[in-house]
Amino acid sequence: MIARVSNSQAFTLLSQRAGELELSLRRLQEEIATGRRITSPDQDPAGANEIIRSQSNLAALAQYRSTSTFGVTVLGAVDQALSEAQNLMVRAEEVATQQASGLLSDAERVAAREEVHGILQALTSLGNTEFAGRRIFAGLALNAAPPFADPDSPGYDPANAYSGSTVEFEVKIGGGANERVRITTRGDQVFTDALVGVAALENALATNGDVRATIAGLAQGRETLSAERASVGARQAQLVDRASQVADAKAAEESNLARAQDADLTLVLSQLAQAQTALQATLQAGAKVIQTSLANLLNL
Amino acid sequence: MALSPVLSIAERALLANDTALEVVGNNISNVNTPGYSRQVPDFRAGEPVVDVSGKLVGTGGEIRAIDRIVEPLLEKRLAGAETSKQQQGALSDQLSALAGVLNDLQDPSLSSTLSSFFDALDALANNPAGLAERQAVLGRAQAVAAELNRRSASVATLQRNADDGIVADVGTANDLLQQIAALNVSIASAETGGQKANDLRDARQQAIVKLAGLVAIQTQEDARGGVSISTSNGIGLVTAGTLVHRFAVDDGAQGLDGLLLHTPGLVDDAGNFLDVAGTFAGGAIAGLLAARDQSFPAASTALDTFATTFRDAVNGIQQAGFDLDGSSTAAVPLFGGTGARDLVVLLDPAADPSAPRRLAAGTTTNPGDNTNALALADLRTTALAALGGVTLSDYLGIEQGRVGEDASRASDAAEVANLLQRQLENQRQAVSGVNLNEELTNLIRYQNAFQAASQVVRVANAVLQDLVSILR
Repeated sequence: MIARVSNSQAFTLLSQRAGELELSLRRLQEEIATGRRITSPDQDPAGANEIIRSQSNLAALAQYRSTSTFGVTVLGAVDQALSEAQNLMVRAEEVATQQASGLLSDAERVAAREEVHGILQALTSLGNTEFAGRRIFAGLALNAAPPFADPDSPGYDPANAYSGSTVEFEVKIGGGANERVRITTRGDQVFTDALVGVAALENALATNGDVRATIAGLAQGRETLSAERASVGARQAQLVDRASQVADAKAAEESNLARAQDADLTLVLSQLAQAQTALQATLQAGAKVIQTSLANLLNL
Repeated sequence: MALSPVLSIAERALLANDTALEVVGNNISNVNTPGYSRQVPDFRAGEPVVDVSGKLVGTGGEIRAIDRIVEPLLEKRLAGAETSKQQQGALSDQLSALAGVLNDLQDPSLSSTLSSFFDALDALANNPAGLAERQAVLGRAQAVAAELNRRSASVATLQRNADDGIVADVGTANDLLQQIAALNVSIASAETGGQKANDLRDARQQAIVKLAGLVAIQTQEDARGGVSISTSNGIGLVTAGTLVHRFAVDDGAQGLDGLLLHTPGLVDDAGNFLDVAGTFAGGAIAGLLAARDQSFPAASTALDTFATTFRDAVNGIQQAGFDLDGSSTAAVPLFGGTGARDLVVLLDPAADPSAPRRLAAGTTTNPGDNTNALALADLRTTALAALGGVTLSDYLGIEQGRVGEDASRASDAAEVANLLQRQLENQRQAVSGVNLNEELTNLIRYQNAFQAASQVVRVANAVLQDLVSILR
């Protein structure tokens, strides 16, 4: 068969090839405009899956980081309150030690009793500490009544002064159900020993009782506070570490996402230049081929 | 010397070249006519005769026929390629539209609204009594439900559009069957004198290719030039000028939008509807059927699976807790509905201002209890058995990959089919297409021949005049 080309072939070839190149240009233009390599799942199904997973992971990581920061802030407030309570207990122990010597006057004993009562009130106030309207020693309950009873209220019992929430508030710092950190401590568990000890001292001072006998209780109250502070410090450190880990994981995930999603602008711009050149060449070559006709040569 | 044969030879030459010029003109005028096959005059030498001197002398040239230049095998292959091209193209178009509807790569997407929902739950877990946080959870829940509703409705619309396309294509196919039958009659009638009805054959071939684009067919030409058409599974459609069976649609299964779909089939002369398997094995109708009956229901099922699993997982935790007022939420689910199409948030703040208080953030009545909110937030990373052991987000990613893969595969197949069809069309054009340079050459050739024949007439006339003057 003699090879021949019909006029229709020449036009069809030109329009098809130009159409293909224009489509390529449009896609490249879209990549440049959006900065994204993939804008529809059919362009790269595996990449689309990767992008969705990365975006979901990033959203979760952002939450873990935000939650860790929230936890660190709350634990900071807890630590501050416990630190102040510890100082109060040290002062109560000093008063007890002084009064136990028996060398002080009655007036000094009355003054000591008033000071101890102030310590009891201050400890109660610390137990009722609010952070952004939430009781940090009562499960972070919002707008809740003070969990510790007023020492001046009738029938005050330091051993049962707490009536707040029994919830231990946890924050979520990871995907696993166990990846949680407790950021509160129930007030009754951390302040009761201290309140009982200070109330006993006040009672001993008021009744000329055995002040020396109260020193052990005061020490117990201080140690309970101290132990909880150590725990708070450990949990704060855990949350700070977690925030740092999350920041690293976020950076890695962002890198993954960029790899899957972002257009390589150098490559795309180079492809754009190639496609433009090819389109120009196609149109020019097509124009020449189409114009070459016997009719022109014969001036028909 | 006899002058009459010379004039006769010249006359035949003039007529033959005049016809040839007409053929060339026809070719040139149809240079851009789709489906046109170039035509060439079939010149033959006349039968020689014994002249007065007893010698065997030629009688000049003539055109016996005007041939249509086609490669029958190529025409058949082209019809088959058109079937494949239209089938793959229709499927690719539908799946591309589906990928667009389910696209999670552009915000707002189901994936991003789901992430926002879990972000809101995390915020609720950090402040379980916060009304703003509770309001945010309900707002995000409504966004997830609305996106699922939209997707489900869009998939149903795609299915309905595909069904409408099938009905329209069936109508077009019947029109083409009628055209082919009528052309069979016209061709048989036109060719009784032994001449080829070239243009009618081109028109019929065009109709056959269009029909093959809608449904896979087989063709067979009979001795009288008629083409019999049958489906790919052998059911007759056209024989000569008769329609043996017509395409038709009947009520079919229920579609995703709740309305009935159409089952394409055939009807015989008696009006009986025949739903024979394999009748629509190829062509655009087959592509639309594949999308309508397989791809769209699969996508809809995946959406429903996601929606019901999400609904049950959230409700299971919501109903195991206590609301902000300390009441049990055992009878207070967050989500209602039976699937993606009608998933709804039952705690609607617009209808009930106290709705945010009904969210169960705790598993006890203790103030500040956030354990239930934490459990809800844990759903973000919980592998769910109903989703095949993956998380909600991973399921969306996998589905996105599956839909994208289907669309990509269909697009590749369509491109291959398109290339094959284009290659065959190219071959057909190489054989049957008009080349203007070739035609112009022929134009000059036949013009010259015509001029030469005119010259023969002039010379014969001069000789005759000379003879007449001698007689005077």
